[in-house]
Amino acid sequence: MSTHDFGQVSRTVGTVFRYALLAATLVGVVALGILLLFVAVDAIQPLTADPGWHLTFFLSFVLPTLVVSGYLYRRAPDSLRAGGAIVGLLAVTTMFAGGVVLIFVDIVSPITWFGFVLALALPAGVLALVSRTLSPGMGTSVGLSAALLYISLAGVPGPVGGIVGLAPIAPSVIALVGSIPVLPVDWMLLVVSVSLPVGLLAGSYVASYTDRRGGIVALGLTVALGVAASLAAPSLGISAGPSLLLATVVGVPTGLAVWRSWETNRLALALPAVVVGGAFVGAFAVEALGFAGPQSWVDWQFLTSAHSRIAEDAGLYPAIGGSILLMGAVIVLSFPFGVGAAIYMEEYAPDNRLTRLIDVNISNLAGVPSVVYGLLGLGVFVRFAGQPTGTVLVGGATLSLLILPIIIISSREAIRSVPEEMRQASYGMGATRWQTVKNVVLPRAFPGVLTGTILALGRAIGETAPLIMIGAPDVVFSLPAELSAKVSAMPLQVYAWATLYGSPAFYQKAVPAGVVVLVSVLLAMNSLAIVLRNRYQNEQ
Amino acid sequence: MSTDDITDELTRNVEGTTQERLPRLFFFICAAVSVVTTVSIVVLLATEAARFFSVTAPLVGFAGETVDAADFFLKTAWQPPEQFGVLALVSATILITVGSAVVAIPLGVGTAIYLSEYATPAARSRLKPALEILAGIPTVVYGFFAVIYITPVIQGVFPQTGAFNLASASIVVGIMIIPMVASISEDAMSAVPEDLRQAGYGMGATKFDVATGVVVPAALSGIVSSFILALSRAIGETMAVTVAAGSQAQYLNVLNPASYLEGALPMTAAMIKLLLSDITGGGLAYRSLYAIGITLFAITLAMNVISDFIAQRYREEY
Amino acid sequence: MSNNDTPMDDSTDYSDSPDPTDDSVIETNVADAAASTDTTRPPADTIVEARNVDVFYDDVQALDDISMEIPERRVTAMVGPSGCGKSTFLRCINRMNDRIDAARVEGELLLRGKNVYDDDVDPVALRRRVGMVFQAPNPFPKSIYENVAYGLNIQGIEGDYDEIVEESLRRAALWDEVKDQLHESGLDLSGGQQQRLCIARAIAPDPEVILMDEPASALDPVATSKIEDLIADLAEEYTVVIVTHNMQQAARISDKTAVFLTGGELVEFGDTEQVFQNPSSDRVEDYITGKFG
Repeated sequence: MSTHDFGQVSRTVGTVFRYALLAATLVGVVALGILLLFVAVDAIQPLTADPGWHLTFFLSFVLPTLVVSGYLYRRAPDSLRAGGAIVGLLAVTTMFAGGVVLIFVDIVSPITWFGFVLALALPAGVLALVSRTLSPGMGTSVGLSAALLYISLAGVPGPVGGIVGLAPIAPSVIALVGSIPVLPVDWMLLVVSVSLPVGLLAGSYVASYTDRRGGIVALGLTVALGVAASLAAPSLGISAGPSLLLATVVGVPTGLAVWRSWETNRLALALPAVVVGGAFVGAFAVEALGFAGPQSWVDWQFLTSAHSRIAEDAGLYPAIGGSILLMGAVIVLSFPFGVGAAIYMEEYAPDNRLTRLIDVNISNLAGVPSVVYGLLGLGVFVRFAGQPTGTVLVGGATLSLLILPIIIISSREAIRSVPEEMRQASYGMGATRWQTVKNVVLPRAFPGVLTGTILALGRAIGETAPLIMIGAPDVVFSLPAELSAKVSAMPLQVYAWATLYGSPAFYQKAVPAGVVVLVSVLLAMNSLAIVLRNRYQNEQ
Repeated sequence: MSTDDITDELTRNVEGTTQERLPRLFFFICAAVSVVTTVSIVVLLATEAARFFSVTAPLVGFAGETVDAADFFLKTAWQPPEQFGVLALVSATILITVGSAVVAIPLGVGTAIYLSEYATPAARSRLKPALEILAGIPTVVYGFFAVIYITPVIQGVFPQTGAFNLASASIVVGIMIIPMVASISEDAMSAVPEDLRQAGYGMGATKFDVATGVVVPAALSGIVSSFILALSRAIGETMAVTVAAGSQAQYLNVLNPASYLEGALPMTAAMIKLLLSDITGGGLAYRSLYAIGITLFAITLAMNVISDFIAQRYREEY
Repeated sequence: MSNNDTPMDDSTDYSDSPDPTDDSVIETNVADAAASTDTTRPPADTIVEARNVDVFYDDVQALDDISMEIPERRVTAMVGPSGCGKSTFLRCINRMNDRIDAARVEGELLLRGKNVYDDDVDPVALRRRVGMVFQAPNPFPKSIYENVAYGLNIQGIEGDYDEIVEESLRRAALWDEVKDQLHESGLDLSGGQQQRLCIARAIAPDPEVILMDEPASALDPVATSKIEDLIADLAEEYTVVIVTHNMQQAARISDKTAVFLTGGELVEFGDTEQVFQNPSSDRVEDYITGKFG
């Protein structure tokens, strides 16, 4: 017997097992990828384009991108990742900009928005002045700001006075603004009410990296961008307002990202440059050479028309608007309550049976089927509270209840991940619970809370069953004009097309197009959440 | 500083000020909302369902049409507004749940083992977001996929498959819940201390031995709990099955694999279908919604509680 | 310290170095320390007094009948083996033990004559008068300036914050190193610097007493000696109560020493020189000379 030979242990089972596991892991993802590919092909119909069109874009866009990506992957993977993030940012902001334009075209007029911003700015200014000179206590500040906000938004004595029977004395700021006979042009209002606030945010972002002067430059550039976009709009064939909004929503974040990249990692700009540049070159080339693009079902007409019984003419516009409105209601209703409940459970709640009950309760609520939430909405909001069926308010409230447990659970995890040493340091210095929560816990937990909220909103956008249960109409032809107007949503519209209008024409044309739009929005939101989470996890 | 001065400072009651009470009250109200929600669900479902069943209707003072509880729970024909035998719906739900379990459990556990024991950190950082995306796709889209892309494939193999069938619905629901099984199981496996693995390797065990013989058994309670949660999700899944499984209720044999080639109406889809029919006026059909609703709620609640119990009771304390 | 020495050629001769287990070594250290202590300071008033303090965690007794008088503007060290209750006692002074549900405190702990465990005392108000530095540096993820100013902000203290921050950083021997980067994150500093930042943060609101729970145990020797010098300077203005498991450190920097032994017993309390050179019991002598613990 050899004393130096330990023999070999067979690894075959292990290796087979390992590959089997890898296969299991990839099956779902690959299957989804294939399905998404199929639906994208069905919706965009790439095979109907001229071969020349394909070739042009291949040479100007695909090939350079692959070359640059491959080069960066080998030499500087960080730059590849950073560059990819910028491209992603561009895509997400463009999508977001589309939604914002929709809001300002069909939901909120620039005058109303201007009035609203003014109505918020005036009390803020008054409050700042009062704080600086008089230094009131917290109770007084809260009361004063609440009163000022109320007067500003609702007038004196406002709806409360109406209930009591008092005659109106002074109108709200919004009403005042609306009654001014001669107003500046829409885009000028937007410059003040959109470019300015966005510019202030951009300015403070830049100032945190450089200094005050850098911040002012950023503010100035943002406003200038808005004005330039408005003035250049007619020559581009679009209206001034949407032009400004597009330029601001896409240009400012992307511009800031490019600026940061220029300062820290110049090579990262290679990828966005070749992607954007290649796309533009390709677009000009196919125009000049006269190649026809694909006859995609996802086109401008699809995104801007309403439903029609003819599949080719059907569009997603009212559903997109409806989804946006619902999301607005959901954020307003669920974010404060969800995060507030999480803060209570993690920082304030004593360790007793009531707390444990609430704990168990929340995890059970997270597992309740969405259709039962719809039933809840139907029973409580429609039947019990007498609200009309299928409105923005009822739909928003029902969806909020649905995602409330999700927001609570993910916020709790984010808060729990704040290291105990920091709380100890704060309490050791005699900070009260609220001071510790406000100054130490929340700032640190905020990225996690934000990520969780974005993912929860993604879930809410894709939900159909609750909306059906509360009686949302299958098709609407226009956007809701107020909170109590009927509303549809993207997944609901797609469902209606797939079932109620389930003719082969719809299945070929409208349904894939709707699916592609819906999935794109969701992928954008999920990617945003994942990127945010990675960035802040690395920073901490 | 004298004793009196310091006494003044120390007895100031900082925590009791409005500044502290106000935030605390606000946060408590937020937490209470969740309790109110649950109570509302239970009260609502209970009272409306009570109006549906003959045996409970008198208790809530309801004098309209009702259905005998025995008929509801034991009959197999579901044709509102005449017949309300829930077994037809239950059979479809069971078939879909079992079918999705067949898909999701092996793939989910396999994924969890791979991510926890085999994957490099780089691979893990790419695979986990991919799985999250799997979970983030709207369910109605999955239903569409089932009808348009998966059913034709099944029909290629079994030509007698219906255009709406339970097989493709099960497959997509399975794919949908893989991330749930995978992430909860993976959490359970990650919680197994490294020392146990080291002990195994130290004895000359291969990775396969350690993964299957040490880690999985140690994390078993968490893994089983993930199954139960995922199945509860499958039971409650609505839109994918509404689009893909069919709209005609029929009672199927849950033990016969051939049932999967048929279309049927699971509980959740039945609720949607009821709503699309005429339910104005609070008639019997309207109230049957709540009967199914309370059944669903009870089932998912029970499964959540059981899953919690298993996770707590059988969890190894490290 | 020449880097040109080849590894095997170790020409350093250790035979002349003192043997740390030798009794006379410790006494020499204490003698050095005693010699460096300014003995011309007048005797100090008592600022914190413990009277028969017992602490229980559920049924386990962590502190047994502790009575001591801690003098103002001096450094009082608490030494003893791990788990003998010295940190627990420290945390009684600012009632941080309140945050542990299982803890129960009996007896009296007087700060300037007022029992901090009286029903009418608000622990939060107490902690604003007593500062604490923890074992592992725990600066907030904020800028250096905001870290030091944190106590000022939460208490709403009036005054020129820029001045107070600078003064605190100077007292913590950190100003020169960070004066040009006050707005950078506190987490970017080295371990030793972070701990000095935590000290600056603790002294900025001008507390009555500064509690330090093994402040240098997570630091390297160079950083440790900086902290020790700092503590000696702090005692000019503040009362320092420091828990340490390093006896040489206690001997070097403290005016008074308390020795805790297993079971939460206070077996010795007195002037440092006297405790180390002339302990009153064999148990203390055994511990000090390293026979156990």
